Amino acid sequence: MSTGTIYHHLETLKELVDQKTDKRYYLSELGVYAYSSLKNNIETIRSPDFTHRELRSPILRKLMKITSKRFIQFEKEDKALTTIISLSILITGTILTGLNGFYSFLLFFIESEQSNMDLFLQILISFTFIVNMIIFFIIIEGISRLFYKKKENTFNFFISFAIIQFPMVFYLITHLIFKSFWLLNLSVFNLLDKILLIVFQVWSLWLLSYGLCAMKGLKIESCLIISLLLHYGSFTIILFVLV
Amino acid sequence: MKLKKYLNIYILGVIGSVILIISEFFSWFTDYSLIERYVIYSSVAIEDSFLYLFPLMSGIICLIASSLVIYKIELKIKCVIIFFVGLGFMIIFFIDYITQEINFISNPGIGFYLGVIGFLLILFNIINILITIEKQMDGN
Repeated sequence: MSTGTIYHHLETLKELVDQKTDKRYYLSELGVYAYSSLKNNIETIRSPDFTHRELRSPILRKLMKITSKRFIQFEKEDKALTTIISLSILITGTILTGLNGFYSFLLFFIESEQSNMDLFLQILISFTFIVNMIIFFIIIEGISRLFYKKKENTFNFFISFAIIQFPMVFYLITHLIFKSFWLLNLSVFNLLDKILLIVFQVWSLWLLSYGLCAMKGLKIESCLIISLLLHYGSFTIILFVLV
Repeated sequence: MKLKKYLNIYILGVIGSVILIISEFFSWFTDYSLIERYVIYSSVAIEDSFLYLFPLMSGIICLIASSLVIYKIELKIKCVIIFFVGLGFMIIFFIDYITQEINFISNPGIGFYLGVIGFLLILFNIINILITIEKQMDGN
């Protein structure tokens, strides 16, 4: 490297480096601070393209306002609150799954064929929501460990994982309202129910991708590929089971 | 010259979407095309008659997303989300319609094949968009 180039770089870094009496260059106080800051925040810095670029979109920003990223990528002081929110989502989802008479399978709900189920069976079916969430988490964690060698933040990811099902709870509420008032027999409400399912599934897929990106430090593209393959994989399984 | 600029691998998404739209006008499992079935079923007020319009809706949504991604690659993430919505209609259609027509599954019409091919082409296009961009970013 030519002397001119070195001086050019030293000029650029003049705030961060100082020359001492021995003619050697050392990090200044600000330089040391900048270095420590970079070193301690390496995980956040690795995915700046996602946090800074993708979330600039107004639609995604609005989506993230409703589902606060504070609870997906939570700090230490928010851990308890995130756990409470996740548990609330799980409990609400479980009750609503039972009331709707659904089996839960990843982001899909399969209607139970029995119309007059006894209470015990209904409770048992409603617990598929929790079992489904645990299986869902194991698959996602397994994929990120196997294919992307990302082993970090497993427990924190587990704590916030139920937030992914938050939009599906909305769907379960609207479906229950439609079902309770016999509105699903009307063409308009039947169509609306299907559209809501699609919209809430896409919202959940986005949250899943965001969660993976924030917790595992994966690129948003890789996260979307995982979400996509998992979603369409589960669709294929459902199709084969129903056929 | 300008047209040549837009002719790349992402054109598969446009082709898939167009095939999906075309499948609406062919028969899937019965002698009637989906659009004909929609007209017949809606005239007798069957509540899920709109289901037969889903491949058309899916095709149109995916066509918009495919065109957007070809026009401006920076919109890729938003386009992938639009693709998810579009294919969501197709998933619902497959699950509801195929289970209804289970008795005719062994004798599908040309519409069924077009629908499946279109769906797979769009899926391949999404994965291709995400993988290619990832590689480009790694290369930088």
